[in-house]
Formats: sequence, C-alpha cells, structure tokens
Amino acid sequence: MKRARIAYQGSAAWADLVDDDKALRLGNGEIISTSKAQWLPPVTPGASIFALGLNYADHVKELGFKAKEPPLIFLKGMNALVGHRGTTIRPADANQMHPECELVAIIGKPARHVGADKALEHVGGYTIACDYAIREYLENYYRPNLRVKNRDATTPLGPWIVDAADIPDPQNLRLRALVNGKEVQNGSTRDMVLDVAGLIAYLSQTMTLLPGDMILTGTPQGVHFCAAGDEVICEIEGIGRLVNRLVAEIAP
Amino acid sequence: MIAGNIYGVVLNDRPQLAQMAGDFAMPPYKAPPEAPVLYIKTRNCLASSDSDIVLDADLSRVEIAATLGLLLGRAATKIARADAFDCVAGACLALDISEPESSYYRPTVRQRCRDGFLPLGQFGAFDPEILNASIGTAVNSTATHAWSPERLARDAATLIADISSFMTLAAGDLLLIGLPHDAPRAGLGDTVHVACAGLSPLAVRFRPAGAA
Repeated sequence: MKRARIAYQGSAAWADLVDDDKALRLGNGEIISTSKAQWLPPVTPGASIFALGLNYADHVKELGFKAKEPPLIFLKGMNALVGHRGTTIRPADANQMHPECELVAIIGKPARHVGADKALEHVGGYTIACDYAIREYLENYYRPNLRVKNRDATTPLGPWIVDAADIPDPQNLRLRALVNGKEVQNGSTRDMVLDVAGLIAYLSQTMTLLPGDMILTGTPQGVHFCAAGDEVICEIEGIGRLVNRLVAEIAP
Repeated sequence: MIAGNIYGVVLNDRPQLAQMAGDFAMPPYKAPPEAPVLYIKTRNCLASSDSDIVLDADLSRVEIAATLGLLLGRAATKIARADAFDCVAGACLALDISEPESSYYRPTVRQRCRDGFLPLGQFGAFDPEILNASIGTAVNSTATHAWSPERLARDAATLIADISSFMTLAAGDLLLIGLPHDAPRAGLGDTVHVACAGLSPLAVRFRPAGAA
C-alpha cells in the first residue's frame, strides 16, 4: 500500500494510491485522478526529521573524508520540505548546488532502546528525499549547517509512503538521481555505512523516536552541480520517482 | 505544546566569541562563523515545568543553559531587523539541557535531543523588556548562575532578521535566542529553578531512569 498526502479542495488529506498509482482514494471513499491532486510532502506535522551525512562508503571517499565514527546526524525543520512536483529555489550564487537521492525511513511505532535486530519492526514505511546541498554555504560549525540544509523547500520528499511490509529488504534497493534525464547518481542502499536498523538502534539509545519521525539515510556518490530550470528526479527501486524543478531566485 | 520547529543558536554569547577568537582561525573551523550557528531541538525534548527529567545511566552531569524562547506568531521570511518583533507573539523561559560538548564542528543531535531535554516555562505575552532582564539559575536553591540577553552578539531582533535571510521562522516555531557559555551543570537528584522578571518561572528535578 502507498499513502500520499495531498492538497485537495482546500484541505490537506492523506489518500491511498489505487489503479496502478494513477488515482487516489480519499478517506471519504472518493477517488480522484492523481492529476487533480497537489502533492504535499508525506509527513506528520511536528515530526522530527533526522538526516545522515557521509553514510555511504563511496560518497565519503568522493568528498575526501574518512568514515565517521560516530555517525554524522543532523536535523531539519518542516520548512525544508516540499512535495513531489514542487519547485526548489536555487539562489543566484549557488553554483555548487547538487541533489542527493536518499532513502527515508518513517517510524511506525515508538522506539526507545531498540536493538538493531528488532529495529525494522518500528518502521512504518519508506519514501524518497532529495536532500539538496549548497556547498558555498557550508561552514565548519555544526556542519552541515542549517544555512545549507534547512532552507525553505530545499528537501523534496515523496511522492508517497510505501508500507514497510512492501519493502522486505531496505538494504538492497537501487537509487538513482537524474538531472534533465541524465543519470548523476546510481547507487545501492547496500552501501550504507550504518543501515536503517542500525540508525534506529543508535538513535533510540538516547531518545524516543515517535511515529511519523523520519530518517533520511544519506546519499551515494555523484556530485553534480545544477542550474535553475533543471528537472531533478530521484528514484528508488520499489518506492517511486520524486520529481522536482529548480527555479531561479526572485531578484530583490 | 509547540507545534512548529524549535531552533536554538550557539556561539551567540559575546564573552565566548572573544574567548574563542583564536580557535576560530584554527582547524577544524579555519574561519569565524558567518551565519548564525543553529541547532534544532526535537519534539521528544519538550517537557513542562515541574517535570522530572530522566538522566540515563551513561550521563553523570549535564549542562543546564537557561535562556529565553520566543514564540513566532507570524512567519518571518527575509524580514528586516526593525520588523522582527512584529513576528513574535509570546515568550517563555527555557532550560536547554545537553551533554557537555566542547566542539562546535559537528551537529550535536545526540547531546542535545534526549527525552525531556527542553523544559519550558509557561508562555506569556512578549515584552521586549525581558531582553534586558537577568536570567537566574539556582541548583538546589543555591543561586548558581545569572546572565542577561544583553550579552548576545546578535540581539534577538538581529538574530530573527539574520536567520530569516536564509530560512523561514514559521508561525508556531520557537526560537531559543542564545546560550551562556558558562552555563552551570547539574546531575542526579538536583533540583533546578530558573527565574526571570516578567516570565513564569521554571523548575525541574533530575532523576535516574526507572525511579519515578
């Protein structure tokens, strides 16, 4: 089962995908074509949004870092998210803005002191994120800092959440990013340094993960700098394709 | 309860910036910070006044940094400093609890986001006068620390303006305006009181896991 969050007739609503993902069934039974829906990020308002840096061995090498112990975890606010087919502003001076295709695990039931062996039982579903980075704005304070990673609508998320039951092995999924149809990332979740179960175990050692909380699990290699007007697609096997377009900043 | 994001800022304390000026030129920093250095407190951190805060067995003493939380009433996006307070609708005392960490290089999610690590006092209307008041912390009824937001390198209005230049502070978000670098520490069994003229006081007690 796939669940999307959409804006429809003046409300934000969750809806199930039906008819080979061509239609949405709302809670009241009404079925609408996906073309009538505006996609919202499939997130529970108030959820904590964790993200991983340097969590793929190949990307770590590409950026010239040594694999980090402990894991590099940062957080995002709700303002950072934007739904499928949304737009993201590319600032005029962001010549080093690149997409990062990531598997997102969504917590399904509270987790505290959960071992890695039981951790996947706490996952409710999976979705896709494009965690854009703008390298010009990196500073060596709480890096990656919020000026890079928490700009409004710079983290496309969606298109929907696939139930965890439909993804039996989250560590064997092909993920790709395409810019204007050209492949710029092609990796496998097999190459994560700390896998989904390990991340939940690690986080839940010190805090309670709540239903709806999200973990963006990091990105494989492939740094491609984008321009305004580019169409950026992130796709993960078994989940879907997340489409975003970069737009120029409005001049002040 | 807060419905939005909870943001805080470090390295916004003038005496600390003076003290660390030499460090900023050295690795891993290599240059002084330009943008406000922000962190996020997650929803599991929220606690109300008079709560017991559980300290896990791996923690002995924690940093207890008393500060002010400003509640946004309307969104601040690319807002001018002069208009910043138009976006602030309320204020509260906050005790930002963290595992002591001397490095500012990597985000401190694990250190800052344990359950209950952000008790908040009751919200009141925002009066800019509180930004000149003294925020006092007492541990077991002994006055232990006092500071004033007058120490902030970016005052509250500048902070809102500067943050809003690159991201939105939305209505419902809470902004913790800065931390004193000389914040005291507390441990198991300690009771902490925070007070500031014009705001509802805050009290919490630290207890071990399992001993309700």
